[in-house]
Amino acid sequence: MSISIEHLTKNYGTFRAVDDVSIDIPSGSVFGLLGPNGAGKTTTFKCMLGLALPTSGNVTFDGKQLTPQTFQRLAYVPERSVLYEWMTGADHLEMQKQAFPRYNAARANDLMHLFSLDGRKRVRAMSKGMRTALAVVMAFAIDPDIMVLDEPTSGLDPVNQRSVLKLIIDASAQGKCIILSSHQIGQVERAADHIAVLERGKVVLSGAVDDLKAGSKIVEGIFPSDAVALNGMSSDQRITRVEKTGRIVRLTVNSGGDAFAAQLSAMGAQSVRIVDLNLEDIFLNAVDSSQTADIVESA
Amino acid sequence: MPAVLTVDSRSGVPIYLQIIEQVKRSVALGVLAPGEQLPTVKQLAVDLTVNPNTVARAYRELERDEVIETSPGRGSFVRGNGVAQSSANAAANDIAAEALMRAVREAKSVGLSRSNVNALFEAAISRWFPEEA
Repeated sequence: MSISIEHLTKNYGTFRAVDDVSIDIPSGSVFGLLGPNGAGKTTTFKCMLGLALPTSGNVTFDGKQLTPQTFQRLAYVPERSVLYEWMTGADHLEMQKQAFPRYNAARANDLMHLFSLDGRKRVRAMSKGMRTALAVVMAFAIDPDIMVLDEPTSGLDPVNQRSVLKLIIDASAQGKCIILSSHQIGQVERAADHIAVLERGKVVLSGAVDDLKAGSKIVEGIFPSDAVALNGMSSDQRITRVEKTGRIVRLTVNSGGDAFAAQLSAMGAQSVRIVDLNLEDIFLNAVDSSQTADIVESA
Repeated sequence: MPAVLTVDSRSGVPIYLQIIEQVKRSVALGVLAPGEQLPTVKQLAVDLTVNPNTVARAYRELERDEVIETSPGRGSFVRGNGVAQSSANAAANDIAAEALMRAVREAKSVGLSRSNVNALFEAAISRWFPEEA
């Protein structure tokens, strides 16, 4: 099962929540959707699931539109819990059993134990973390082929967060198609093979996690004087940001780090160093540079 | 085997490269013996809590570098017999070469000349291989 989102746009009145987003998720892949609050992640999920009507664009599953049959193989963990306050955990699992032909009672039982959930407890007596865990159990108990997980670790303690990651990884190894959002970038970095960063509805960065990390560098040159001509540098597509502070020039690049280091040397830099970036740095740079001018100069 | 591997997702080094480096190091040091079976991609992915495609990529590159071999249906193994010693040597070489590259790049970046770097290199050699002076 694969998912294809093509040129998805969603307007709420005059506000454009999702702006021309295209994402492909092959089978056996975990796609991480990152972005600040209000960037359009949840709206993208809702459009994927038919819970919101796209203004334009298309979402297909194995090349086909969403059908009731697709829903039987699809698990959704929404950002805000949709659990019924007066019902117990066991009641919710019973609903899953009725609605999803591939519901697996033994698996559900194991998962309830994994998260130390008591099926007799009513939702209104559950903490935020227990509610998230119950939603995760409901999702994984139906043996889905597609999983749409909106903040599936929110409110969980570190042990349970790790358990959810392992469930996602195990499902991915079985060939499931998974899209995930989380503010915990370190988790996305572990679980996902591809990511996209959304900012004000637009994809500002996307790619394979390993390639993004391998290519993204800060190249820093220290020059003999602060009269450094940076002509033309900001027009290079590989440079996402140019900062100049006195004699120090700092380039944030998405590839070609060694070449830019050589270029700074050729321009007369006394010292050049290349700094590796982790996904959190890359994310913050992507969000930051979509808001600021290309060349930042400070005294 | 999983006990010898750890990944640091906060590091800027891609996770598949971290896995490759650690497997090579383990082979070079004999922590992973020739013929020893590696965990399956799925098992290692779950143990390390990293994406299975990331582990699969590391395994593919380790095969290409002739550190491990995979036979369909049986799994992945550290290369044994004739090739074991040479792959251990190659792995040791890769690790040392990368560390030296980093050191020389750093030395150049702080403005040392070629002869300065050479002198430092000679000093380091004399310190760690005193018997061969």
